[in-house]
Amino acid sequence: MSTTTFIRTADLKGLVADFNAAGIGVAGPARTSDGAVDYQSITSFDAVVLDAQPRNSLKQFFLPPTEPLFKYARQGQDVAILEVPMSFPPRVLIGARPCDAAAVEVLDRVMNWDYKDEPWFARRDATTIVTFACPGGDRSCFCTAVGLAPDATRGSDLLLAPAGDGYVVEIVTPKGQKLVDAYAKRFATGAGVDATKAYRDTARASVEGHVPARPDVIRAWVETHFEDPFWAEISMRCHGCGGCAASCPTCHCFDIVDEPETLTEGVRRRNWDTCQTSLFTMHASGHNPRHDQCGRCRQRVNHKFAIYPARFNDILCTGCGRCARTCPAGQDVTEILTRIVAMATGQGGAA
Amino acid sequence: MNVYQPFRVRIEERIDETADTRTLRLKFLDPDIAEKFDFKAGQFGEYSVFGAGECTFCIASSPTRKGYIECSFKTVGKVTSAMKDLEVGDVMGFRGPYGNAFPMEQMHGGNVVFIAGGIGLAPVRCVIWNVLDERNKFKDVTIVYGARSVADLVYKRELEDWGKRPDVKLWTTVDPGGETPDWKGQVGFVPAIVEKASPKADNSWAVICGPPVMIKYTLPVLKKLGFTEDRILTTLENRMKCGIGKCGRCNIGPVYVCKDGPVFTAAEMAKLPNEF
Repeated sequence: MSTTTFIRTADLKGLVADFNAAGIGVAGPARTSDGAVDYQSITSFDAVVLDAQPRNSLKQFFLPPTEPLFKYARQGQDVAILEVPMSFPPRVLIGARPCDAAAVEVLDRVMNWDYKDEPWFARRDATTIVTFACPGGDRSCFCTAVGLAPDATRGSDLLLAPAGDGYVVEIVTPKGQKLVDAYAKRFATGAGVDATKAYRDTARASVEGHVPARPDVIRAWVETHFEDPFWAEISMRCHGCGGCAASCPTCHCFDIVDEPETLTEGVRRRNWDTCQTSLFTMHASGHNPRHDQCGRCRQRVNHKFAIYPARFNDILCTGCGRCARTCPAGQDVTEILTRIVAMATGQGGAA
Repeated sequence: MNVYQPFRVRIEERIDETADTRTLRLKFLDPDIAEKFDFKAGQFGEYSVFGAGECTFCIASSPTRKGYIECSFKTVGKVTSAMKDLEVGDVMGFRGPYGNAFPMEQMHGGNVVFIAGGIGLAPVRCVIWNVLDERNKFKDVTIVYGARSVADLVYKRELEDWGKRPDVKLWTTVDPGGETPDWKGQVGFVPAIVEKASPKADNSWAVICGPPVMIKYTLPVLKKLGFTEDRILTTLENRMKCGIGKCGRCNIGPVYVCKDGPVFTAAEMAKLPNEF
């Protein structure tokens, strides 16, 4: 068990005020003007909404939807490359959900695979993630099926769970410890983790059973059923819009494009991309190795539940359920995974 | 300098191979990088035109020839069209080298059969140069190269040079109907010419690159000749963006072409799902 401390709700508000005063950026889940909840910049803890899952994930704070990689300026035949700063101001993400915090750490694997992705890790270094144990999810949540939980500490620097007039604070990482030490006056002795047990148990019960917790069975089936008609069947309802990937905390595929700003100057950017579109894999010749939506739907499941586990010993999914909630066609990952387990264990086949 | 930032290279020479295929010889601007830059036969890079974007090609020159790299490309898309517009002296970008390489050391002491179709000769040419520059380390060298028509043959100067060498058996061919009145090479598809050339399989390696249909029909010929799948090498060029395993674009089943490839044996290819 990690070290714990306690913070009263009033001090949590004070803590955000302290961050503001120190020039530390703060972001957390808060209402948008249209009434939804998004992770976004905030200036007061009063804005934080903890009882609804934000529409977006934390991905954008480390891999923005679009970001400059460098600038270029042509002069005659020559070109100057102008570096963009890869240092970022300190930021605290407060009110993160455990599924979203875990996703960031899952992505550290690929972002550090032989080549270090500086933009990603520069933002990682500058950011402290203060997670709040999840109050419980809806029908689309399945974190416990992918080795996580509503109170999982993975990827978090601190994990808070409510107790009495405040929160029990689990100090997960040295970075979390540093934050507690720097603002020691805001923390106090109080209830221990035991006091949060009922809260955690309730949350866990709300997400369990939505998908069988058999990631190894899912991986083995996906690895051996590339040509299974199941993929064509589930792809029939897919429009290929990529909403699943945009909302996903772990989908990290990107495009690299040049964006001219004047005739001679411009910026090379990377932008979010998705394996759900035909252009993603289309060769310039017109040949497309992944030529139909069947292959694209398969790729998304394959990458998350077989390729990434094989490569990094980690599942590229944290069970947040956003893809299911976002899909305009009702494609439901919990149904897909449940059916895979059923097929793999001989309890059902293609419908 | 982050990993997505290219080296600057200057176009030293440009050679039109065919009506729509061009070779560029590129030299690193930074003398320090020019000095230190090294790669292995088969590796690839991301070439860029500032303002148009990046494109993935193998390095078509050989690591045995220092001081420059070459790429050959067909004008088909946005970036290659922009590359076609560049003049000698213009500055481009290059990131790399990336990916694995042909097992040159393992191939030492063996016979090598090169089989290429169309622009597929570009990655193979890198290995041909490498082998010819270290000719005494290899035994028989056979090259079978085919294109749709005489006009579509790339590296014509080099084909001529290779054809003159007593230590190279060169077979050039064009598809039926693609020949000209003065064409002295073969007429027929590459698999048939490989069968005709009938290179011995004993202590041999085959390096093959070309259109999928050419590879599909050449593999059975090689097997009939006695080549084993672990001695048949090919190189894949999937659409890529990052080239370094991050952008998620080049998966074929569990394989990342940019990291596990681009060079694969036929044995490895046989295990891959049909998605390339």
